[in-house]
Amino acid sequence: MQIGIELWLFAVALGTSMLGGVLGMASGIFIVPVLTMFGRIDMHTAVGASLISVIACSCASAAPFLKGLTNIRLAILLETATTSGALCGVFLAGWIPTRYLFLLFAFILLLSAQQMLVRRKDRDDSSSVQRLPLAMTLMYGAGLISALLGIGSGVLKIPAMDTALRLPIKVSSATSNFMIGVTAAAGAAAYFARGEIITSVAAPVALGSVVGAVLGARILMNVPDQRLRLMFVVILGLLAAQMLLAAFGINSIGPRF
Amino acid sequence: MKAKAAPPGQLESLLGSLLHYGTLAASGIIAVGLALSVFSSPLGAGIAAAGIALFILLPALRVAVMLLFFLHAGDYRYGAIAALVLLIISVSFFIGTR
Repeated sequence: MQIGIELWLFAVALGTSMLGGVLGMASGIFIVPVLTMFGRIDMHTAVGASLISVIACSCASAAPFLKGLTNIRLAILLETATTSGALCGVFLAGWIPTRYLFLLFAFILLLSAQQMLVRRKDRDDSSSVQRLPLAMTLMYGAGLISALLGIGSGVLKIPAMDTALRLPIKVSSATSNFMIGVTAAAGAAAYFARGEIITSVAAPVALGSVVGAVLGARILMNVPDQRLRLMFVVILGLLAAQMLLAAFGINSIGPRF
Repeated sequence: MKAKAAPPGQLESLLGSLLHYGTLAASGIIAVGLALSVFSSPLGAGIAAAGIALFILLPALRVAVMLLFFLHAGDYRYGAIAALVLLIISVSFFIGTR
């Protein structure tokens, strides 16, 4: 094995998971673009490794949130929808051409950037767990996207809990983080069985993710300040632009189809 | 048999410990595997793969613990929900092997 590549993968996972932890997002949204665009790693391999990273981040950071913030009954209920979605995503992943996966990924990146710009606000409405069917539908979509793109889909889960279930931000973040591991595992199980989780890629990524998630949680657990958010909006936008260009075949650094 | 009242937070701390020690174990196994690979031992890749498998198994184990906890507490509705999630994860694995 080439130590240089492993170190690079470890560093990428560490950096992205740390950012993810600080921003309250899963690492996958950064890992897949970096691995495919800069590492020229095959999309399915990148998605497989990213799912492992998402599981590692979720498991590594779950324990502190479990003391009072995570609603585990709601989590297991919504997980029936996210894992069903992941099952569907696993089917689709083999069928959808990489070019379209890149397009979809670019869209999700832009959606994340937009969410980061709009500050999340708590609603006064305390009547929780209403509009469950809407939440279940959104969760199904989140699971599908997660298995397809190797991301945690917190970008879809948190709004589902914000707008559909009207949960407080901290509860929905903690519950979403808790659910992300199971959702990613439902996707990763199929990738693993198919032999699409390449050890030499996924192992350094997993290790880097655990270290990054732990460091990220130490740095801060609160919503970052406006300047930091703006910086990430720019990064997300640039990654989205790169992936769009790659999807249309007009790129200088990404893969060619 | 009526629900035995479990102390509040018991399930939470149980799951917290499972995920904490599970993460430590999986990362440790992967680290050993990678270290062996660096010294070009043929065992390295296999050990690292076992650590990755443990990571995938960890959320499923978490659901299994929830299933047992709910059944033990006589909460059959949530027991069934946990069983369904576990079933879906298993189906995903078996789809992949085909």
